[in-house]
Formats: sequence, C-alpha cells, structure tokens
Amino acid sequence: MSAKPWQISNIPGPKTASILKSGEAVAKILKKAKRPILIVGARIVTEKVDGEPLVKYVVELAKLGIPVVATAHSRKILLEHGVKPVATMPLINITNMLKDPEWKGFDGNGGYTHAIFFGITYYLQSQMLSALKHFAPKLITISLDKEYQPNATWSFPNLSEKDWKEALEKMISSLKGG
Amino acid sequence: MSGESLRLKATEVQTTIGVIKGLEVAIGAVIEEEEEWEPMGPTPFPKVTDLRSWDMTLLKRYKPFYAPFCDLCCLCTYGKCDLTAGKRGACGLDIGTQQGRIVLLACLIGLAAHAGHARHLWHYLVEKFGRNVPVDLGGDIAVEAPHTRLICGFRPKTIGDFDVALKYVEEQLVQLLSATHTGQEGNYLDFESKALHVGMLDHLAMEIADIIQIVALNFPKGDPDAPLVEIGFGTVDRNKPVILCIGHNVAPAVEIVDYLREHNLYDKVEVCGVCCTAHDMTRYYSGAKIIGPLSRQLRYIRTGIPDVIIVDEQCIRADIVREAQRIHAPVVATNEKKCEGLPDRTHDPIDEIVDDLVNFRVPGVFIEDPRKAAELVVKTAIKIAPLRKQYKTLPSKEELIELAKKCTNCKSCRRACPNDYPVNEAVQAAKNGDLSKLAELAEVCVGCGRCESACPRGIPIFTLMTKAAEAEIEKERYKIRAGRGPIKDTEIRNVGAPIVLGEIPGVVAYIGCPNYPGSYREVAEMAEEFLRRRYIVVASGCEAMDIARYLTEEGKGLYEVYPGDFDAGCLVNVGSCVANAHISGAAIKIASIFARRNLRGNYEEIADYILNRVGAVGVAWGAMSQKAASIATGFNRLGIPAIVGPHGSKYRRAYLGRPDREEDWYVYDARTGEKVYAGPAPEHLIYPAESKEEAMVMTAKLCIRPNDTTKGRAIKLAHYIDLHKKFFGGLPEDLHLFVRTEADIPITMKDEVLEFLKEKGWKPMKIPDPTLLPRLIRRKAK
Ligand code: SF4
Ligand code: SF4
Ligand code: SF4
Repeated sequence: MSAKPWQISNIPGPKTASILKSGEAVAKILKKAKRPILIVGARIVTEKVDGEPLVKYVVELAKLGIPVVATAHSRKILLEHGVKPVATMPLINITNMLKDPEWKGFDGNGGYTHAIFFGITYYLQSQMLSALKHFAPKLITISLDKEYQPNATWSFPNLSEKDWKEALEKMISSLKGG
Repeated sequence: MSGESLRLKATEVQTTIGVIKGLEVAIGAVIEEEEEWEPMGPTPFPKVTDLRSWDMTLLKRYKPFYAPFCDLCCLCTYGKCDLTAGKRGACGLDIGTQQGRIVLLACLIGLAAHAGHARHLWHYLVEKFGRNVPVDLGGDIAVEAPHTRLICGFRPKTIGDFDVALKYVEEQLVQLLSATHTGQEGNYLDFESKALHVGMLDHLAMEIADIIQIVALNFPKGDPDAPLVEIGFGTVDRNKPVILCIGHNVAPAVEIVDYLREHNLYDKVEVCGVCCTAHDMTRYYSGAKIIGPLSRQLRYIRTGIPDVIIVDEQCIRADIVREAQRIHAPVVATNEKKCEGLPDRTHDPIDEIVDDLVNFRVPGVFIEDPRKAAELVVKTAIKIAPLRKQYKTLPSKEELIELAKKCTNCKSCRRACPNDYPVNEAVQAAKNGDLSKLAELAEVCVGCGRCESACPRGIPIFTLMTKAAEAEIEKERYKIRAGRGPIKDTEIRNVGAPIVLGEIPGVVAYIGCPNYPGSYREVAEMAEEFLRRRYIVVASGCEAMDIARYLTEEGKGLYEVYPGDFDAGCLVNVGSCVANAHISGAAIKIASIFARRNLRGNYEEIADYILNRVGAVGVAWGAMSQKAASIATGFNRLGIPAIVGPHGSKYRRAYLGRPDREEDWYVYDARTGEKVYAGPAPEHLIYPAESKEEAMVMTAKLCIRPNDTTKGRAIKLAHYIDLHKKFFGGLPEDLHLFVRTEADIPITMKDEVLEFLKEKGWKPMKIPDPTLLPRLIRRKAK
C-alpha cells in the first residue's frame, strides 16, 4: 500500500513512511514500544476530528502512561484537561534532543524508542520528521495526523475525518484492551 | 595604537584582500586618510577565515540543526545521489553537509540580490548626482554607517567612498560562491561559517544601498516624525490612470515622480507600489501610495486596476507578463536582472513605443534607462487608461458562480495550498452562491496562486477569491509611517543604558516577507503585545506594511497610536528590506556610542558585546526569500537571535542551543577570567516557532542577556512569566536557569517564584561581566 504526501509537492526521496492501515496497527506498534513519547502541537488547541476535540486522544494516551511533550502553545489546554506534560518546549527542541544519542530522556532513564507526533502543522512536522529520519535512524517515528507524512517511519494515509476518528478510537480501545 | 602598528595593520589589510589592484590602493588611501578617528581593530575587510574562530565559538553553543527538505542531491551529473540517513554521494558529501551547502547558497543568493541592488543604485545615483554627494544624515547622526565602520574600518564621506566597500563585497561573493562547487568545501561547520560571513556582508550591502539613497534622494534621515502615508487597495483612485511599481529598486519610481512633478501631472495620475519599491517611493514622495506587501501583488493585478505595470528587481512574480496580459496592462521592465523576455527598446523613440503598448502590439518592453522608462509609463498610462475601462473590473458574481459550478471537490487546490486552507470548501460554497468562505480565505491567503494553478478544472480560484473580497478590499485605507531610515545617535544615548542594563526589556524587530502560516494579522497582534509592554518595536519591509493593516479596538492603526521614536513603547518603521541594516546598525551603535567600544575593523568584539548585552530579537514570521535567509544569518553572526514562522523550517537549518546542557552556557567574567554559568541566554540563534503564541513567549525569553542588571532581569522575567502564564499556563519550567539572585525575581511574583525555585533546588549564581572571548579578560583568574 502506498500513499501520496498530503501536500502534493512534499516528496522527500526514496525512503518514505510505511502506512498504518488501522488504529489497531498503531496499537500493536505502541504495545511493543519500550520507551514511547508523545509530542503534541498547536493543532490540538483548536482542531476537532468529526466533532471530537483532538485533545481528547492526548488525554487517553497520557492515561495509558505515555509521557507527553507540549510544543507550541498546547500546554495550556493539556493542563486544563488534567494532563501534566513532562516538558514544554518548541517542537524543534524536542526533535533536537531526540536525535542526540547521548540524551537520557526526561526521566534520565535513557533515550526514547518511539516518538509519536500528533496535532502538529503539516509541513513543520514533515521537516522535523525529516531531521529524525536522517539523524536518528534508530528512532521509530509515528504520525497520528490525518495527512500522510512521508518522512515518518509510520504514518496514516490521507484520511477523511470520519476514518481518522475511527482509527484514533480503535487505537485507544485496542491499547486499553491490553 | 601607534602610527607604526597602524601602518602594519594597513599592510595586512592589503595582503588579505590583495586580489583586486584598484581595491588594494583605494583601501590603503582610505585608511591613511582616516588615521585619527579610532585605532584600527584586528579585522578590517575580513575574509571568512578572519572571523572563523568567532563563528566556531557561536556554532559550538548554537549547533546547526538540519531538517532536509529533500533527501537527494542533483547538483552534478554524478547524481542524483541518495543521501538518506548517512549515505554519501559520489563526491563524498553527506546530507548534513549538503544542507550546509544549500543554506550557504541561499544566503549567497540573498547577498547577491542586495549587493546587486546596491551596485545598481550606486551607478544610478553617481551618474545622476556625482560621486561627491556627502554622507550627511543630519546633526544627530555622527556614526553614519556602523556596518561600514565595523567591517571595513573606514568612515564614508561621500557616496563615492562606498565603491570600495562594494568591491570588497563583490570579491568575497565570488570566493564564497566558489566554495559551493562540487569538490570544494566538505565540512558542514565551515559551510555555516561561510554562511555567517555572507550574512555579515549582506548587512553591509544593505547599509550601503539604503544610505546612498537616503542621502542622494533626501529620504527621511532617522526622522521619528516621518510622514504618515497611505496604504491599502482603497487609497488609489481607479478613475485616474494607475501606474503600479513592483520591486525593490526605487530608481524608476523616483523618475516617475520627478516626471509627474515637472509636467504638473501629480493630480492626474496615480502612482502606487507593491513591496519595497513602494516603501521607498513614499520616502521620496509622501503622496505615493502603498498597495501592500508581496502577498497583495497578484491580487491587485487581478482586480484589473493597474493600467501599466513597471517592474525593477526582486520579489516580482515570475509570471508577471502573463498576469499583466490577462488584464491587458503592458509591462515595462527596467532592470538587467529581470528582462522578462521583453524586447529591448531602450534606444527607440518614446512615442513609437507608447503606440505599440497602447495598441497591445507587444505585451511589454524592456527599457534600461530609468528616466526614459518613467516618461514611457506615464505617457502610456494616460493614453491606455480610457481604452482599458472594460478590463478594470472583475467578472460578475453570476459569472463566478457559473465557474465554481465546474468544481468536482477533488481537493487538488487544498493540497497545493502552502497553508492547507480549505480552498475546495470555499469553492463548493460558491457553487451555491455563498461567496463568504472565499472572502474569508482572501483575508488570510498569502496570495501565491498555487491553488488555481493546481485545479484540473481550470477554475480561476484566485479571481473568485478576489471578487468575493472586492467590497472589503476597496474599503482598505490605512496609515503607515514612511520609512525613517537609521536610528539617531541621540536616541541611542537615551536608550543605550536601559537596553544594556535590561530596563527596557528588549528590542523586537518584525522583519521580512509575508509568507505567514495564518493571517497577516498575527504580526500586528504580536507587535501590539510588545508595544503595550513597552518594548522598542521596529519593523521593516513587508511586515512593516502588514502591521499597518491592523486596527486597534479604537479603530486606529498602530502607526497612528504609537510614536515613531526608537524608544520604549514606540513603533519604528525603518523602511524597505535594505533598511534592515539600520536595525542591526542600532545594536552596533549601542556598543559604540553607549559603551564606547571601538568599532573600526573590530567585528568579533562588537558581536560578542551584542550577544551578551543587547536584548534584541528579530521575528521574521513570514520569512520566504533567500534574502530573508541571509538577513537572519547576518543578525545571527552579530549576536542577534531570530524567530521564524513554521514555514521557516524549510530553510533546512536552525542554530539551536541546548538549555539542558549546563556546560554550554558558561561565559568568561571579563573582570577575573573566571568561567561563570550565565544561563541559556539567548537560548537559540534562529529557530522556527509553530504558533504566534509560542513566538511571543520565546520573544520575551530571547531578550534576556547575561549582562542584565538585577532590576533589568526582573523586568524581563516579569514579561516572560506573564506571557507564559497567558499563553502556556503556569510558571516557565526553565525559570530557575534565569534567576541569578533573589533580586532578579519580579517583586509581584516573589512568593510563587521562590517556591518554584525551592522545588528546583536553585542556588544563587554570580553575575559576570560576560564575554566569550578570552582576549577580552582584563585580569586572569588565579
Ligand atoms: S554534488 Fe555530490 S552529492 Fe551532489 S549530485 Fe554531485 S556527486 Fe552527488
Ligand atoms: S482543485 Fe478545482 S475542482 Fe478540485 S476542489 Fe479545488 S476548485 Fe474544485
Ligand atoms: S493563493 Fe491563497 S488559498 Fe491559494 S494556495 Fe496560495 S495561500 Fe492558499
């Protein structure tokens, strides 16, 4: 299965993201992930998916114990929803740390294995995923946004609102289902 | 410094750049003439390696961060080479180094644009007024050309003197461009050092371009009360012949104004402009009108209002002739850098050319003589305007709805839109007669036209948008203060101390292009936030224009509400892009006038001073062009950080600090030589922010400097904390890194901050006399 970048001209090169076929597929990857981290951006402040605010899914993932990094101005809405981010910083700061092989993570227990990107401006996210593709080749990056991100390791294809919501719901229920 | 060592320095200068014979002689002459005013510093007319150690000092703390935009290299026939994740190309290059090279190339293109512009203007002005026009910026400006003094080590007396500095820039440009050839430079840090050098040269070239036009054309000379001029679509009387000037080089526009004046045609013809030519026209003649920034170019053409379009150089659409043909308006190209495939009619009789244009026999002409071009466009505009009446209107609403009916909702438009605007939804609504969504889109759109170009059904989406917003844009009438040029020495004397001590919390400069991630309003909203907080707010280029398009709650423009002084709570429009040199120049002047540091050939020391003491930050929210890349990089080498909008991540490179790495943030205490932790101040040299809220919090933070007094630091922290609470919620997580003593804590926030510091295990720190340069240590630590 292949997909075209959401922004048509965003064609990076020979190595492009594998497609996440469903919410369950994401859950499968995340269940095996040793040290995942969730990075959220400006879109979680205002954006909705088929009527549900994006932040709802951040709350769910945080409840499952995945640490959350608040980038852009997403911190405030997280706090309002009872999520205390492990860090608040520009998106590029966390990207920069993730590509440092010496970095020991926010808890000092070692680097992260999986970086999940959610609710982040498409082209900025693409650039950050590109940095990680090239300079942190061992890190697995996952985009949960509804647009295909070719620079990630894993990305949804371009989804309709309805399909996106379904994928996110399934992802959460599968993760909860153990 | 003794006369002997001065002569020695002069000899070194000559050997350093002894490539062009005339240059060598000329520099020798200037330096001999100038022996008295200041001792010569170590690096007059530096080549890249002369300041390489400063660059490496910066790059050690602010490491290049690369976000490749493309995984391939296709620059030579070995390629395409796949450079993904550690692979190397046939020449041995890796992806990081390739990014460094691309960044250098972008900066070089930017520098070439400004240097080419400066050189062209220089020839034009020297031919018109002679070499001896004095560099006289009025009694309040003695430090007339801070970059020229700092980089070249001489004081220009006449515009002719700048020839030497321009030759230096041109020679460096050749050397630096050659470093990008396959098989030349192969180290990313050295590519960055070269990019920083280019950035420095860019500010020199901009300074020259702006000063020569100010003194020769009598633009405002640092006047805080420069006139308020008109900006907006609605300022132009479309019933008169309308001449639209686009670009950055004011020469043809000046000739148009002179021609109108000489022929008593002022009231009969409208002259308006887009982009920096418009800024500079109003600096020459306050009756000229600004349509708006680059983002308004296509829209204004699509209205059909311009009768003749005259272009000079830079930021002009590549499809300008095609677009002009759509509205039956002739194009007159005037600059060798943009001939547009038009026939060269420079030497033909004017009336013959007018006749050809008025009768649409040719889409346009190239006229290399600005005076002749001016006469041509005025005569053509007057003759053609009555014939163009039918083209001066947009299609009717009914016609547009018919066009929209062709839409299949394929979303190609949306997926082509750089900002992912829901263009398809707006067209779908128009299908049903509802143009409101198209009008909303027009309000935030950056005017690129990509949606229309992508539409497989050939729907003129951009025209639809323009029509939908027609009523609104016709009402557009705002005020902008004409570009005032440099900052006065007297102003620097007033604000130098409060800036360096931190009591004026910062200087924030909104600069660059209008490739915004959202609405143009965001720039004005940010500017207003910092004006209310009594920062010094400076603006230039397209962003200066967009700030004017915003009204306060009382319905006033920001230029009408806030005075034009370089002072706390004031809003300064320095002018066009090349006037950016006055913003960096003001920082240099603080070191010179307030701190009495020698400028002459003393780049490294001044940059170290600015980095550690001058709380200035540039915000290029819509940075688009290669010029913006070189301008920002030039600010960076001088120690001034910059924030770009999210599209700025496509420049591929940021310079990032790591606040979590304590060892990166030590400075020398110049008093003792002791190494002292000074906190991550400033945290980055250039970085892309995702949202305006993030940019505002970071702006306040990036104004913090190691040298702040406790009073100054408390003021800066009060703004940082307040903005953080407002947009992020709660206290900043890194607050403890910026509190050196309890006196740094804003009084009104004392309790909560102390509690936070306790949790963090904070301990008081020393306040150094900060420098990164060991040679500036006055007494070595034992
Ligand atoms: S310049 Fe180097 S990396 Fe680029 S195409 Fe040629 S060989 Fe490949
Ligand atoms: S590209 Fe054209 S046909 Fe497709 S949705 Fe947009 S306007 Fe409609
Ligand atoms: S013209 Fe406006 S709406 Fe169309 S692609 Fe460009 S920014 Fe988007």
